[in-house]
Amino acid sequence: MSAAVDRTLAALADPVRRRAVELLGQRPRSAGELASDLGLAPPAMSRHLRALKQGGLVEDGHPHFDARVRIYSLKHGATDGLKQWLAETEALWTHQLAAFKAHVESGE
Amino acid sequence: MNGAAVIVALRVAATPQAAFTAFTRDIGTWWKSHPLFQLSRKGDGALRFDPAGPGGRLVTRFADGEEWEIGPVRHWLPGERLAFGWRLPSFAADQGTEVDVRFEAVGAETRVTVEHRGWGAIPQQHVARHGFELMLFQRRLGEHWRALLKAMAERA
Repeated sequence: MSAAVDRTLAALADPVRRRAVELLGQRPRSAGELASDLGLAPPAMSRHLRALKQGGLVEDGHPHFDARVRIYSLKHGATDGLKQWLAETEALWTHQLAAFKAHVESGE
Repeated sequence: MNGAAVIVALRVAATPQAAFTAFTRDIGTWWKSHPLFQLSRKGDGALRFDPAGPGGRLVTRFADGEEWEIGPVRHWLPGERLAFGWRLPSFAADQGTEVDVRFEAVGAETRVTVEHRGWGAIPQQHVARHGFELMLFQRRLGEHWRALLKAMAERA
């Protein structure tokens, strides 16, 4: 489990941030749009977006037609480490529980 | 609430008490190393709960004699629940994950459920977590995240 996975998990620990990630998974959005979708005040939204940026989950940029607007989107590959950890951990326990079952039921 | 938990469950033909005893006492016997997901570069070693009981630790001993503490036992409720920290040699010093194993009677059998939470260094000991509804909720949550991550990967 790398530090990157840890940061990703910390960023996802909050239900508001998880919802924001889901919304950004649909399409990029501005902070204002996210705030109104989630029913949050702008300062609170900024704090969550900062945590998501630090967690390496989202990135922000400007649309080419307007440098004053900041658009947030999901970072490509941001959750690869997390996905790998989930998959490996699930495979590990599936394998070990099967071994445990065989042991218990052999009556040793 | 954590957004990333792996939950794996199956039924075994034994009472919860017998399953718990076999799980803890015989972990060095039933644990089978798998080449694709080894606990360390030196393999899995021989696992044991030392001492067996509350306040113990899950330890593994590698072939070269070196010992590694995987994690402290957080809950030891025979026939019911076993919880322990889980940190492998590849983890950073301040990082750990948590494993929670539950034993529930289902007719003459026992459902064994392993929940492995990826979390920071803070064990969620203070969080009351019991009851079937909560477990179902967490299972759905785990599935929800897996599905979401998969969908995100497909879009990427």
